[in-house]
Amino acid sequence: MRNEKTYQSELLGEQYTVIRHESGLPIYVFPKKMSTTYALLATDYGAVDATLDAAGARPLPAGVAHFLEHKLFSNEDGTDSFERFSALGADANAYTSHTRTVYLFSCTDRFAESLAELIDFVTHPYFTEESVAKEQGIIGEEIRMCLDNPYDRCYYNMLEGLYRNHPVKTDICGSVASIAEITPQILYDTHSTYYRLSNMALVVCGNVSVQEVLDIADAHLPHVAAEGTVPRRTVPEPATAHLPTVTEQGNVAKPIFSIGVKDTHIPEDPYRRLKRDAAMAILNEMLFSEASELYNTLYDGGLISPELSADYALTRDFGFLQIAGESERPEEVVEVIWSYLERARREGLSPSDFERCRRIEYAEYIKSFDSTEEIANTLLSFVFEGAELFSYADVILGIELADVTALLEELFDPACRTLSVVHPI
Amino acid sequence: MNPIVLPIGRQGRLIYLNTDRFKSELLAVSFTAPLAVETAQQNAMVMALARRGTAGYPGLASLNRRLDELYSTAISTSNRRTGDMQTLGFAADFLGARYVGGGLGLLPEVTDMLAELLCRPLFDERGCFTASFVESEKQNLRDAIRAAIHNPRGYAISACRKLLCAGEPYALSVIGSEDTVDALTPEGLAARYRELVSSIAPVFSYVGSTPAAEVAALLEARFSDFGGTPAPYTASVHGGSGLAEKVEEMPLMQGKLSLGFRTDVSLSHPLAPAMLYLNEIFGGSPASKLFLNVRERMSLCYHCSSSLDLYKGILFANSGMKVENRAVAEEAMLQQLADIKAGRISDTELLAARRSIEHSYRQSGDNPGVLARFYTGRILAGNGETVEEWQARLDRVTLPDIVEAAAHVAHRATFFLKGTKTGEEDEEE
Repeated sequence: MRNEKTYQSELLGEQYTVIRHESGLPIYVFPKKMSTTYALLATDYGAVDATLDAAGARPLPAGVAHFLEHKLFSNEDGTDSFERFSALGADANAYTSHTRTVYLFSCTDRFAESLAELIDFVTHPYFTEESVAKEQGIIGEEIRMCLDNPYDRCYYNMLEGLYRNHPVKTDICGSVASIAEITPQILYDTHSTYYRLSNMALVVCGNVSVQEVLDIADAHLPHVAAEGTVPRRTVPEPATAHLPTVTEQGNVAKPIFSIGVKDTHIPEDPYRRLKRDAAMAILNEMLFSEASELYNTLYDGGLISPELSADYALTRDFGFLQIAGESERPEEVVEVIWSYLERARREGLSPSDFERCRRIEYAEYIKSFDSTEEIANTLLSFVFEGAELFSYADVILGIELADVTALLEELFDPACRTLSVVHPI
Repeated sequence: MNPIVLPIGRQGRLIYLNTDRFKSELLAVSFTAPLAVETAQQNAMVMALARRGTAGYPGLASLNRRLDELYSTAISTSNRRTGDMQTLGFAADFLGARYVGGGLGLLPEVTDMLAELLCRPLFDERGCFTASFVESEKQNLRDAIRAAIHNPRGYAISACRKLLCAGEPYALSVIGSEDTVDALTPEGLAARYRELVSSIAPVFSYVGSTPAAEVAALLEARFSDFGGTPAPYTASVHGGSGLAEKVEEMPLMQGKLSLGFRTDVSLSHPLAPAMLYLNEIFGGSPASKLFLNVRERMSLCYHCSSSLDLYKGILFANSGMKVENRAVAEEAMLQQLADIKAGRISDTELLAARRSIEHSYRQSGDNPGVLARFYTGRILAGNGETVEEWQARLDRVTLPDIVEAAAHVAHRATFFLKGTKTGEEDEEE
């Protein structure tokens, strides 16, 4: 009997099935009657996985995960998988984040051929000295482009301010110098270490059946699982921020800032992490959305430009909050925010604000099921975080004001804070 | 999913798209005004002030709290070029009726909110916009204009557009220039608001499952007196003459090159579908000549692509590279176009373009915003074509059509943003 399980949501009127393929690859199929089918094959390996062993004795040059993502599209017969997808009418792409590498395509026809191509090119690495050298030129230009992007600079400087040791602070693309160290052998070693099928996931959302996906998987994947596990290196990291401020001059008209707040209270249990994530989303909405008192104090006081974002990142081994915007007086923005937080701790958060913001999270969750792309990417995030997608509705409804208040008490220690600013030249 | 078009009030129309495929619904309103230096910035300010507060919700906080109460309804503002016109509008994305108790769901309240934004401005006792909001929005506008340098690629394309269409409305920025911001006043903006609402023909679009008659009735009840006789749609197209060139310096690591091309082929031209193929083959996808040759084979750049505005018949090719590689990149980019003009298009390239175009139109049915924008743009430009009709024209395009379209493409502007920074990244090599 096939090793499969189906999850259903009455609220959404949706369901998906997970199958553990004999190759070790978990396969998720989310049937959805839309024109566009979206598929992604991802590995639980990103820029933070900076070594080939758990002890850290075989470090990798910065930027390898991203370099590998680029290079996998080149095939042994001299073709490029981008071209193959184009000939099939599929729109292919890939991205690398701090924690994962994702290969994807969307199509409205010829799904079977495209899925076969996706599985084949990701599982069949082929690198030469010449093609690696060529890619160093292309990625070198990508790195220069990012260095010219003040928002990227501000973000990475914020991470540099927060973290003393953790590799999350390293630029995902690496540097021109670090990618010059990359060789075909490093790419092969990295691929064999981190692209084990048991460390990956295939997610398909669209007008397809479970059987259709499995037939293609059976034809293109091995029938035995490879042995071995993926190394996970834990780097000791202090609870407090590494630097209180990081500044740089850049091509900006007005200073742009990113306030980072380090979170080291990371629950090991995925559901507790999910709950923390949901509670933080509600708290961010209460504090920093355009409807909030704090936002309007900052905005009406002429302290910030209209765009202010607050994003929380929580994974199994790092967590931080980023508050980003533009201001002539970023230090004053920090003061106003922290004195507001102080008052909110003393006087308590408003229960009606809490209800309003919880409702927003709930509505946003439902609305996210209108796009096959969004569904597939969200499902992948849940899979790699070890949580179940449909449980999130109940998680949101289960959050209480006390949970959000606890975060307010716990998270905003000034010693865990850094301020990154890019000033005009 | 073909639209039904219904009249609303004196000059308004509703583009109605019936579907129960989505969990959310979309209600949008758009209108055009001539893109003119005297009014473009004022129009942008009127839209910003409307979104800042209304008579019923006199401030950003109360307006946004109301939207939050409507299950996180999001209202976005748009301000863009359509040919030589400025298209402005609001679009509301909200949770479908079945998730909020059935019936008409949130639609009546969302329609109320759009009416608030358009028909009930926050005026003081003198009938003018609130002075403090005007001052604050003026500062936001200055910031937005200055922030163009934050995005070097966009800056280069915009500068190239100005060179390419010098003296035409299309060259203007839809948010205007910094030197006119100081002169904006609450009185002048209120006058502009009144002129605007009496000289537009609003185009509403709805994507959802509420019956058309009920949507129309809701809009009719709130917008029957709204709108007037609009200025006719214009988009002057011509091949131009000569080559305008400009170089600007900026403290950047990279150079950004933008090549501008005029064509006399816009939406209503018989070669319009072939021009879309030309763009696809030139630089519209990862299977394009710019991507495969200039990026992948020559390893000169990370991004190298082309974009087409069929409303105006304008094509751009853009790339970023080391400053010293500019000449070789420019030559290579122009060579790709020369190859298309000479008919050097492989069967693989043609097939990839055809399938990519088919894919993008088929998937438009999955996105309410894309569908609404397609029809709104077509109707504002006086073109009643459906997605299916447009697709049928695209299906008939042949290789000779693409070569014929290429003969209409003339290189008329080159803008280079020269990076002047040599950072440690280069020294490390």
